[in-house]
Amino acid sequence: MTILALDWFLLIEKLILIAIIIFASLGVALYTTFAERKVAAILQDRPGPNRAGPFGLLQPLADGLKLITKEEIIPTHANKWLFILGPGLAMTAALMTCAVVPWGGTIEVLGHQVDLQIADVNIGILYVFAVVSMGVYGVMIGGWASNNKFSLMAALRAASQAISYELAMGLSLIALLMVTGSLSLRTIVEQQVGHVWNIVYQPLGFLIFFICALAECNRTPFDLPEAENELNFGYHQEYSSMKLGFYLFSEYINMFISSTIMATMFFGGYDLPFVTSHLSIPGTAAIVGIVVLMAKVVMFIFLFMWIRWTIPRFRYDQLMDLGWKKMIPLALANMLVTGFFILWHQNNWHF
Amino acid sequence: MAITHIIFWFLTALALVSALMVLLSKNPVYSVLWLIAVFFAISGHYILLNAQFLAIVNMIVYAGAIMVLFLFVIMLMNLDKETEPQKDIWMKVAGVISGGCLLIQLVRLAKDAPEMVNKTALLKTGSIGLIENLGKVLFSDYVVPFEISSVLFLSAMVGAVVIGKK
Amino acid sequence: MNAIILSALCGVVMMFSGILLKNKSAIKYVAIAALLVLIIGNLFQFYGIYTIDIDSKGLLSFDRTGLFFNTIIFVATLAYFILSGSDIERAGPDVAEYFALIFFVLCGVTILTSFNGLLMFFIGIEILSIPLYILTGSDKKNLKSNEASLKYFLMGSFSTGILLMGITLIYGATGSFGLQSTTIKSAVTGFSSAGILAPVGLVLLFISMCFKVSAAPFHFWAPDVYDGAPSVFTSFMATIVKAAGFFAFIKLFAAKSEDFGPGPAWKLILFVIIVATLFIGNITAVFQQSVKRMLAYSSIAQAGFMLFALYSTNDFTKDGILLYTAAYSFATIGIFSILTKMEDYSLDGFNGLSKSQPVLAFTNTVFFLSLSGIPLTAGFFAKYYMLASAIKGGGSLSLVIIAVLFAAVSVYYYFKVIQAMYFKEGVAATNTPITGNFKVALIVLAAIIVILGIYPTALLGFYYF
Repeated sequence: MTILALDWFLLIEKLILIAIIIFASLGVALYTTFAERKVAAILQDRPGPNRAGPFGLLQPLADGLKLITKEEIIPTHANKWLFILGPGLAMTAALMTCAVVPWGGTIEVLGHQVDLQIADVNIGILYVFAVVSMGVYGVMIGGWASNNKFSLMAALRAASQAISYELAMGLSLIALLMVTGSLSLRTIVEQQVGHVWNIVYQPLGFLIFFICALAECNRTPFDLPEAENELNFGYHQEYSSMKLGFYLFSEYINMFISSTIMATMFFGGYDLPFVTSHLSIPGTAAIVGIVVLMAKVVMFIFLFMWIRWTIPRFRYDQLMDLGWKKMIPLALANMLVTGFFILWHQNNWHF
Repeated sequence: MAITHIIFWFLTALALVSALMVLLSKNPVYSVLWLIAVFFAISGHYILLNAQFLAIVNMIVYAGAIMVLFLFVIMLMNLDKETEPQKDIWMKVAGVISGGCLLIQLVRLAKDAPEMVNKTALLKTGSIGLIENLGKVLFSDYVVPFEISSVLFLSAMVGAVVIGKK
Repeated sequence: MNAIILSALCGVVMMFSGILLKNKSAIKYVAIAALLVLIIGNLFQFYGIYTIDIDSKGLLSFDRTGLFFNTIIFVATLAYFILSGSDIERAGPDVAEYFALIFFVLCGVTILTSFNGLLMFFIGIEILSIPLYILTGSDKKNLKSNEASLKYFLMGSFSTGILLMGITLIYGATGSFGLQSTTIKSAVTGFSSAGILAPVGLVLLFISMCFKVSAAPFHFWAPDVYDGAPSVFTSFMATIVKAAGFFAFIKLFAAKSEDFGPGPAWKLILFVIIVATLFIGNITAVFQQSVKRMLAYSSIAQAGFMLFALYSTNDFTKDGILLYTAAYSFATIGIFSILTKMEDYSLDGFNGLSKSQPVLAFTNTVFFLSLSGIPLTAGFFAKYYMLASAIKGGGSLSLVIIAVLFAAVSVYYYFKVIQAMYFKEGVAATNTPITGNFKVALIVLAAIIVILGIYPTALLGFYYF
């Protein structure tokens, strides 16, 4: 099936995969908001949302409906185009990241081998970084276009926070990449299947990455861009209706994706120890893989929430201090030690 | 016409139009956004040339870091029309004429250059742009300039501290 | 390789000395000690005693000229540290960082004297430039310094962009960063048979380098930047950095081999640029009231003379550029070290200096005489070598006559300062007390200039033996 020098089956396969993943991400994001409220309720010893549906399970749908049907307001002096572009960019950047994540092994459909991954590019993790760094634009443009000083301040905070923690994040990953020797996420996962997970080699690297992920997702204790007591509401203060919804959703999607990346990079991705490498029936491994990966992701998301409802927020100078003076030197030291051990291992040095 | 040709012409048109819009936009924030579009288009070209690493680094460094800083500065500036200095119309005309002369010269030279006639870029082939090969070249043949550029970054860092300190 | 590695290490040492040493004046002595180590390390390589050997895959090549040029630059920096070290301490709070940046500049210089291809050339130029943008803006409270820094940075970045575009075109034409290929050779010696990309690339390189050495018509940044920067750093920029820029310029275009010089088309371009540089530098300098600004223009004029080395590439050129670097750098460093001590930078500020500070006035006179090229000073032979090389190259008598005429013009404005010091009444006030050590150092520097003026082979003797 090649017309116009294109493999149409591949194209359709990828399009379906993209559609599934996008809708899955949106669904997960929707129910993460629900989970967040439930977790908060449990931690604060109160029932939480319980009116809509059994256990309040329809609550997120009600919230969504409310957001969509609310009145749309564009402030008079706001820059209209950029005001609309902002949430769109935030959402796009959040959704684009999942293109390189391997969601499972390979399954067979109609005689074709289908990888449960949209694109296995050999620079996978760098692609994630590129897209994450694009995410800042949505926030900055939205904050500036609102023509509100508080929004602008919050946007600037968000951007400088993201840039600062991206550095430490990248440096902590370099050590991991030195161990794996590949940037492709699929290769990284396949190396872990049947072997030790990368967390064993890179515990410090994971810790740094996790803290930076919290900061990148603007989660407590790094939710300075939304510090209500200082900035009213944050960079999306002037937004209403679904544009606000986009910003809120994109945050939850970011959380979902960073959990996935952490599970993939450090916790074996779709690997279930002692089981995955022994599953011989084709297809089963892939299905089990997806379930295992999701379980890991849910664990991380719970961790994110647990932290949010337990730890208070940093002051802004403390945040910058932690990022530049503690995380980056720590990540550099981690890199140095990792490099030393790799050389030791390769050259069989004896002391 | 193969799909790569269509993508190539699309990206080229996008890059040129965006670059023009950078100059023509009245609002500097728009200029920055168009410039980001230029970087995206150029990254697309790199991918066509199978230089994936270059493409993504171009995006991380230029679109992701440098342009964010540009946007930072511009957003904090006062962009009222009254405070903007009026540029002399003759300066504009002189700029257009001299820049246009350079452009015509370069285009004409590029058109006639014997090195470029009947040669096309290698699309989708060649592996030098892949990260393995790039890394090997960088750490074997070009290791000295690679290491020496650390002096450059160190001096820039010292400078940033000197300038930034109160 | 010794000098490249040591200068980078010295920079790092200076950075840490700022943390470890609480006493500011101690930092200066650390810097002088580090510089001495650097000089010795460089001489080790020059005399072939010991060289840190790193396989640069042909990207760097060390020859005697480059190493000797390094030595001249380091000695000039030593003179600069001794004379102006205390002024650097007063320039701002980050003394150690200023010294560190100066060492990084020196690292750039050493790369520019040993590059063997456009890649290292570019890195050298950048390492040379970036610390300078910062040093220019180091007087943060002064608006003029800020403006100068920003201007320098923007213009410098722009010229770097042109430089990169030139390098890209040359790389496209030859497929390598090397300068040995026949395409480049035929592009330098004449435009024929070199294709189109390489000559265009070379023209862009040429423009960018003209900017870096402030040759007209790419000189517009120089007066403002030299005037706005703190005087101590102007001194460094106008001498050491400029000389290094020239050395790289000549190495890039001419010094590959004796038979490999700019062709007639290049000569015409150079002719125009040299005349324009001499004209603008000298004529504008005449009208300046501030000595600092006058020196800025005079440095443009001196650049015109240094361009002669590029115009005519023969035996005299190498000697000429080495001698010119020494003569010009020593004299200008001396003048600036005195200038920074003055309360008032205008011409009237020098009135009656001979009464209040006879040593300063006398040595200043020697430096100015050397700059204007009066016999018995180093400047005379420096100019002589440059002009002689042009005559030997043949067919450019008109250029030499123009140069001599402008040298005569330069005598006029240099003598205005001497006149103010000796023949005008006034109290030339200094902003700090002049120490005995400073006077001794000045006298030594003046003596070196006179010795080089009587016996120039004293310097070149080291080079050849």
